[in-house]
Amino acid sequence: MNQPIIRAENLGKTFPGGGGGLWRTAKPDVRAVDGVTFEMTRGETLAIVGESGCGKSTLGRLLLRLIEPTSGRVLIEGTDITTLSAAEMRRMRMKVQMVFQDPYGSLSPRRTIAQLIAEPLQVFGLVKGRRQMRERVAELLTQVGLPPAVMDRNPRQFSGGQRQRIGIARALSVDPSFIVADEPVSALDVSIQAQIINLMQDLQQEKQFSFLFIAHDLAVVRHIADRVAVMYLGQVMEIGPKRQIYEAPQHPYTQALLSAAPEATLNKPYRRIVLQGDVPSPTSIPTGCSFHTRCPLAQDICRTVRPGLDRVAPGQSAACHFAAPNSLGAK
Amino acid sequence: MATIEQDFAPAEPGLSQRLRRVFFGRTATIIATITVVIFIFVAAFAPWIAPHDPMAQSFIAINKPPSWDHWLGTDQFGRDVLSRMIWGSRNSLIFGFLSPVLAALIGGTLGVLSGYFGGILDRIVTRLVDMLLAFPELLLAILVAAALGGGFWNVVAVLTVAFTPGFARVARATTLSVRQEPYIEAAIAAGVRTPVIIMRHVVPNILAPIVVLMTLWAASSIRLEATLSFLGIGTQPPAPSWGNIIREGLANIFATSWPILAGGLAITIVVLAISIIGDQVRDELDPEIN
Amino acid sequence: MSAPLLNVESLCVEFGPKSAPIRVINSVNLRVDAGEAVGIVGESGSGKSITSLSILRLVPEPPSRIASGRIEFEGRDLLAMPKSQLRHMRGRDIAMIFQEPMSSLNPVMTVEAQIGEAIMLHQRLGRAERRARVIELLRLVGIPDPESRLKAYPHQFSGGMRQRVMIAIAVACNPKLLIADEPTTALDVTIQAQVLDLMKDVRRKLNTAILLISHDLGVIAEVCERVLVMYAGHVVEDADIRSLFENPQHPYTRGLLRAVPSLTDEHPRLYQIPGSVPQAGSIRQGCPFYARCDLRQDICARAMPAMSTHGARHVAACWATQSMPEVRSA
Repeated sequence: MNQPIIRAENLGKTFPGGGGGLWRTAKPDVRAVDGVTFEMTRGETLAIVGESGCGKSTLGRLLLRLIEPTSGRVLIEGTDITTLSAAEMRRMRMKVQMVFQDPYGSLSPRRTIAQLIAEPLQVFGLVKGRRQMRERVAELLTQVGLPPAVMDRNPRQFSGGQRQRIGIARALSVDPSFIVADEPVSALDVSIQAQIINLMQDLQQEKQFSFLFIAHDLAVVRHIADRVAVMYLGQVMEIGPKRQIYEAPQHPYTQALLSAAPEATLNKPYRRIVLQGDVPSPTSIPTGCSFHTRCPLAQDICRTVRPGLDRVAPGQSAACHFAAPNSLGAK
Repeated sequence: MATIEQDFAPAEPGLSQRLRRVFFGRTATIIATITVVIFIFVAAFAPWIAPHDPMAQSFIAINKPPSWDHWLGTDQFGRDVLSRMIWGSRNSLIFGFLSPVLAALIGGTLGVLSGYFGGILDRIVTRLVDMLLAFPELLLAILVAAALGGGFWNVVAVLTVAFTPGFARVARATTLSVRQEPYIEAAIAAGVRTPVIIMRHVVPNILAPIVVLMTLWAASSIRLEATLSFLGIGTQPPAPSWGNIIREGLANIFATSWPILAGGLAITIVVLAISIIGDQVRDELDPEIN
Repeated sequence: MSAPLLNVESLCVEFGPKSAPIRVINSVNLRVDAGEAVGIVGESGSGKSITSLSILRLVPEPPSRIASGRIEFEGRDLLAMPKSQLRHMRGRDIAMIFQEPMSSLNPVMTVEAQIGEAIMLHQRLGRAERRARVIELLRLVGIPDPESRLKAYPHQFSGGMRQRVMIAIAVACNPKLLIADEPTTALDVTIQAQVLDLMKDVRRKLNTAILLISHDLGVIAEVCERVLVMYAGHVVEDADIRSLFENPQHPYTRGLLRAVPSLTDEHPRLYQIPGSVPQAGSIRQGCPFYARCDLRQDICARAMPAMSTHGARHVAACWATQSMPEVRSA
């Protein structure tokens, strides 16, 4: 078997709550990501889904070491990036790039499109001279479906969808082997979303980079992913091949999430299971299984023993004491 | 290709167009700009423009009212007031621009570094700034002058120190907010070096408030130089500056009022002109108004 | 046919100077019957929010103004009504909830005070009665243990709970119409499901008509039986949900239904509507969807098509499909 492009081992991040000292009461620590392990092969798309505060964005940033992990390791093509020096890490960034959620904020406002797209290229010395730079930028703009003639314009003159194309061109410029996209279409209009999803899919097929796609929209994920990981309160609840996750979800949370997604169709694919209550705060994660406070199947053991992420079917693992296909009868 | 979004917003005004708007946007700013340019021109070419030697004394022509030979009359030593005003504009204007520019450079750098990196550096800079801001500039200047003596460079140094905390504070606050922008994280993720991130993505986005502050301080600085020279701790006589022209004129006010009038008017006009330009810069750079 | 609860006819809203107005709402017709749930779906700039704000004349004037049209509520003309009288109707007859529950609540007032205030605007109740009513409302919107939450402040609630409080305030005076502008957009999917269920529940219990504005057809399908599709300030289609899904007539609606990925099918590629959403007021002539439409004809660039009928309660504004035999959509 070939080496995984990226491997996360027992990855964790706790944000210190701060405060304390003489005058202020200490705020509790926030456990954003807790013991996440997975790997991805070349050309694979893994989607991380979950609700806000589940740690999916933090996980994406940990994989790129934009945030320092508190525990665990990240291996990119076999190199542990958590021990690299700042200079070594910077060189590593040629292989790993990111597409951001906010198409308005993630492009520096006072730079031209050409300057923005060429920046990673220049950082790594991949283009020499202005002419070569402009040729490469023109090529990248064409790849993402924008006319090269716009390269000297300012990001403010572009719509959200167009800006997201620019962000994609920038990430692609260094031909990375791994791209993290953090909710890349959630800020876009519905009719524009499809354009960007198709674009990313086409590019991935052509360039064969591994693609970590962070999203909350399960329908988008079904469309784009090969495998899906469902996160809740910093932990992976279930991970597996797309078809199995959607057709035979084993964790009750996965099933509830699928059944809650609104669908523009008359024949609902899932029977609605409405979870009671809110997501607990990541400052006070419940003992045992973190989902037990909302789980319709919770038993005594769930309140005390945290279930491991165990294999439940070929390629599919679920962290549930009572994992079984469609255990809630949503399907 | 029909599948892409082909509509683009019209091109926005470029930098040169915006600069033109700053300086020639309104009649008031046009006049202010021309005024400042004239004063700078006069200061730069003082040796060729001034009709007389500003230091040359003449006991046969003291306290003369304006005449064909001396347009603004002469002072109590018989020196030509117009020539002294022209030469004095050098000290006053250099002074007016030098301290704010130096302070912007030093304070801006400190503020950006402490805002970007945070931590212990930030704590030290913030404390220093708070401490310095507790002193009024004028008081600080008088204190230092008392300790080190007066003179041009001492006063420049003092006012630079006095202005620096203001710039540091503004630069730090704006850097803190720019630091949170997604495009900074995007640059880090793209592998850009930290110094490049600061120069390319932070500095251009915090420049606007710094420039506005500079124009404000330039006006105050000219005023402060005049005040300090008037108090005798600024530009030292016999070298002329608008401040000490007024000071010497005051001692001699019953003989001739022309030096005071000329000095006061020059200061008022320049300060007013710079303030008008400053307002326009602020309006132009403020994204709320744009 | 009974008289409609809300009837909006050829509503036009303009922005900017009177000499060069930008028309953001163009001849919108909208009808909501008593107890009915109607949705308006559209993308940014479609005018769906402005339409809903116009009903209570909440569009900021200036820069915008209602240029023409009629808005009738139970037969009374809201546009001709003095503002003081209109204010009296807000909350009592027509209530609104918005997308961001945090900014719509006053952060320094307790939940009891805020709901109580809404009650007091239109009803005279004693202190104890008012408290009882607040508790009843909190229970109605599914806030557990309402007695203990009376003195809580908005920041002590989660986003979903805040939206529940907003709904409690909105239904405090048993309004006949509840206008909800993207009420679940800021919420997570499991919480969204709860809030949508609550809206259905409230409607069933209080027989409140609902006008739900959303960019998500799935959300509207959850709550409403009829939907208006808006595009660039025009209503392009108005149909029962079932009819719209089974037999969409306007090319934009068709595109929208196909462009949204689904939980079930795995098309290798999503259908994409070409081009981008037009800027407000940039289209002055013809059909606003002309540039992106795959059924466009010469006439579309010249004239806006009128609504044509496609079944019992189904109209669409399209030159191409008005004369076509019924086409089953892909």
